Amino acid sequence: MATKKKVTRKNSTGNKARAKTRPSKETSPATDNPYISPSFWKAMWIICSISVILEFFIHRHKHFEELESSVLGNMSNWFGFYGLFGLIACSGSILLAKGLSVFLKAKEDYYDDTP
Amino acid sequence: MTLLDNIPPAFLLIIGAFILLLLPATARKTGTIALAFFGFYAVSQLSEGSRIMPEFLGFDLTLLRVDSTSKAFGYIFTLSAFGALIFSWSERSRLQNTAALAYVGSALGVVFAGDMISWYLFWEMMAISSTFLILARNNERSRLAAQRYILIHLAGGLVLLTGILLAIHETGSVAFTKENIYQNATAKNFILIGILINAAAVPFSSWLPDAYPESTVFGGIILSAYTTKTAVYTLVRGFPGEDILIPIGCVMAVYGIIYALLENDMRRILAYSIINQVGFMVCGVGIGTKLAIAGVVAHAFCHIIYKSLLWMSAGAVLYRTNKSKCTELGGLYKTMPITMVLGTIGALAISGVPLTSGFISKTLITAAAEHQNYLWAWLALEVASAGVFLHAGIKFPFFVFFNVDRGLRPKEAPRAMIAGMSLMAFLCIYLGLNPSHLYSILPNNDILTNQNSFYEIYIKHFDHVATMFQMLIFSGLSFFLFLPMLRRTPTISIDFDWFYRKGANLFYCGIDKTFNSINRAAEHIVIKTFLPALARFIITAPASLTVMILRPIWQDSLSADKASIKKHEQKLIARFSSGTFPVAYSAIFILIFIGILIFLGRSSS
Repeated sequence: MATKKKVTRKNSTGNKARAKTRPSKETSPATDNPYISPSFWKAMWIICSISVILEFFIHRHKHFEELESSVLGNMSNWFGFYGLFGLIACSGSILLAKGLSVFLKAKEDYYDDTP
Repeated sequence: MTLLDNIPPAFLLIIGAFILLLLPATARKTGTIALAFFGFYAVSQLSEGSRIMPEFLGFDLTLLRVDSTSKAFGYIFTLSAFGALIFSWSERSRLQNTAALAYVGSALGVVFAGDMISWYLFWEMMAISSTFLILARNNERSRLAAQRYILIHLAGGLVLLTGILLAIHETGSVAFTKENIYQNATAKNFILIGILINAAAVPFSSWLPDAYPESTVFGGIILSAYTTKTAVYTLVRGFPGEDILIPIGCVMAVYGIIYALLENDMRRILAYSIINQVGFMVCGVGIGTKLAIAGVVAHAFCHIIYKSLLWMSAGAVLYRTNKSKCTELGGLYKTMPITMVLGTIGALAISGVPLTSGFISKTLITAAAEHQNYLWAWLALEVASAGVFLHAGIKFPFFVFFNVDRGLRPKEAPRAMIAGMSLMAFLCIYLGLNPSHLYSILPNNDILTNQNSFYEIYIKHFDHVATMFQMLIFSGLSFFLFLPMLRRTPTISIDFDWFYRKGANLFYCGIDKTFNSINRAAEHIVIKTFLPALARFIITAPASLTVMILRPIWQDSLSADKASIKKHEQKLIARFSSGTFPVAYSAIFILIFIGILIFLGRSSS
């Protein structure tokens, strides 16, 4: 839902900015990039904490009850497992992609001389 | 409607495609949209059962095999064609129009085919007609991409054909059923590989991100829906419960994420996310339980809708800005807000955010993995669902519509494009809110009867909604935490196509070096050395031999006068080379020759 929040917020500021700066047709990239805006981070942290706090009030169904001996199977029933899982899985994918980019990234004209 | 009940929808679209070719622009465009809608209606009129069995090469074909699986695919194929055709009102050319209808028609042909021969024929027709959608971009890059695309698909088709022929030879039946395919292990493996090439399974995946982003705006939307999903359909038919598909699907799902994170081109990001999503379906087919198969069909259905929507929003951006690289795009929300909102709905749906179609279909597959206690598959699929949010859910809209303002001020997408996108966005949310409408057309839907209402999914099982939400929001958090690492660079990523693009060059060089050096060596030895030597030998041998024979005679008769012997030798050699001999010499040679003949004749008898 973060995207939606960001969308509405950006839209309102964007409209103002456009109204003001239309003649010059240029807005500075720094003010336009939402990731450096502190209010965006504040909203992000609030939603994250809400999603964790929400877990106190629900009764979660157990996963993998038949696999009692499996550590991973049990872990999936821990408090906050999904949040942690999302964070680790995504950070892992980003780091893996970053690592692989050393080998896999090539200039755009890399294939120009091939059929 | 008994007439519609007995017409394969494939024929409606393919014949219609060629009739519409003759009409003027507006009539053609309207007619195409009407035809797609009529196709949808025709699918809805089909009653279950197998029929229409013309004879071909001594085999009975089955052009219509109707059950809930084929009907679900038939619905979504015609529906997404309808949406894409509305979208492309202002952009679609005559060639694309015909190619797209023929492509959709042959995809319907595969879906309703009950035998392997008509399956194969429609399968190849899909490959050929879809190539025109790439060629229609009409530049050098797309021409080369289309070339590679058709070569891969023809190769895949041949593998499939080999499998089919082996299966028919083994069983004597052309029926397209799991039992028939599994009779012969070799046939089964060939057919499986042939299908997996079309499903873009790793390592046969690179054709998809190579070709689709080179197609036209309209072509990309149409292409994204059919080839891989007919492959999923054939897997559902022929290989439910095939264990090897579980790891293959998991690898596809994760591979799609990693490459989508590396990519710079927005349509290539979406192409990799197709592989990721098809990975879910392939894994679901591998699990093969009733729930998993229902989940695969549901996911294919929802996937086609939101993936079309994403390709449409990317297509609208490409249409307006003529750019598709994240490094050149950004800040478009200012002038294309409607495209941005609709594209974001697609992005949320593909991420499986609750209340969208992705949530009600993807969770069926993960639940099936969980029920079968496939822990590792379940984990891989959960990683993949988190990763989808990362690359398709946030990365695509963020880098295209937000990020850095690059001063692009394109107009909002044309009205027809917005209409097409709105239809798809509406379906994403409608299906998310009314899961029972989708669940009721699925195969094995009896197992879902207790949990198909809004109340069951979102209120009674609120814990699933909450955990999904938690996972997604933390995935989003990690995207923004790592944003500096995700900064786009104007690069491409090297995929398996390296092996046949760079590899082809290397192969060419290797073959060039090996065979041409053999050629040169052979020329040197045979042409330049051996043949002249042979020629010299043939010219000089008779003269030298005669000289050798005559020298002792001359030495005796001419009292060993070296100078006169030399003179005789030279005279003899000159006569040999000019071929002129006095009669006496000739007579002597003839006598010797006859003597040799008689001697040989004696000794042999």
